[in-house]
Amino acid sequence: MSHPRNTLRTSTFSCTWCRVSVPVATADGGQRNHCPACLHSRHVLDQVTGGPSTCLGAMSPIAIAVPRAGDWTVVHRCVRCDELACDAVREDDNQLVVMRMAVRPLAQPPFPLEAFGTL
Amino acid sequence: MPRRNHPSRGAPRRRRYDGAVPPGRGGHRAGDFRCAGCRLDVPGAAPGTAHRNHCPHCLTSLHVDRRVPGDRAATCRGRMEALGVSVRPDGEWMIVHRCLSCGELGTNRICGDDNALALLRLALRPLRDASVTRRVLLTR
Repeated sequence: MSHPRNTLRTSTFSCTWCRVSVPVATADGGQRNHCPACLHSRHVLDQVTGGPSTCLGAMSPIAIAVPRAGDWTVVHRCVRCDELACDAVREDDNQLVVMRMAVRPLAQPPFPLEAFGTL
Repeated sequence: MPRRNHPSRGAPRRRRYDGAVPPGRGGHRAGDFRCAGCRLDVPGAAPGTAHRNHCPHCLTSLHVDRRVPGDRAATCRGRMEALGVSVRPDGEWMIVHRCLSCGELGTNRICGDDNALALLRLALRPLRDASVTRRVLLTR
């Protein structure tokens, strides 16, 4: 990663999962904290205490959640310590991967969905 | 004749317990609780799981565990609302909860008597807003 004060060079990170090199800054000026290609993240922030985490494990996306007022968020789980984190879906994330994750519960429903047709 | 049932007299009244965890009493109906969201009285015994940790009617939970499920170490005790549904690799659904008081996330296995309509509404919540789906699937 390049020096943050050097504005001529864009700082990038390499995805812990698919090794894609992605710029930290997004087009709309925000900060990215998951890979746009595979949605994986890295456990650098401790969710319980709020400080930096010593785990640094890879975080896999497990669900797409929608708060009552707000846009889609992706829920991550750390593969090392099982901690959960929540992160907003960005404009340039891979839309097919996001959509696959959103409708994944419907692929294996725990009850027959035909019963809802009569409601 | 003096009042004998005045609330200030005698033994102090015990605060009524609302929550997912019963006070430390064993025996019959030890795991029963009243839901923090819809006030439903829920029996502790649940089909398909040993420990019930959310209301089967409105899927609301209570923030009592910190890192390990069942450790009862959280001091927050806030209400946790269901945020979404996640699927384990073996196909089992998990409900993702978020604490309304401190914002922490947690996952719970679904239970055999959970409200199927509430679960399906939760799973379909990303598709509720058609503008997002149209942008995702139809553009580009």
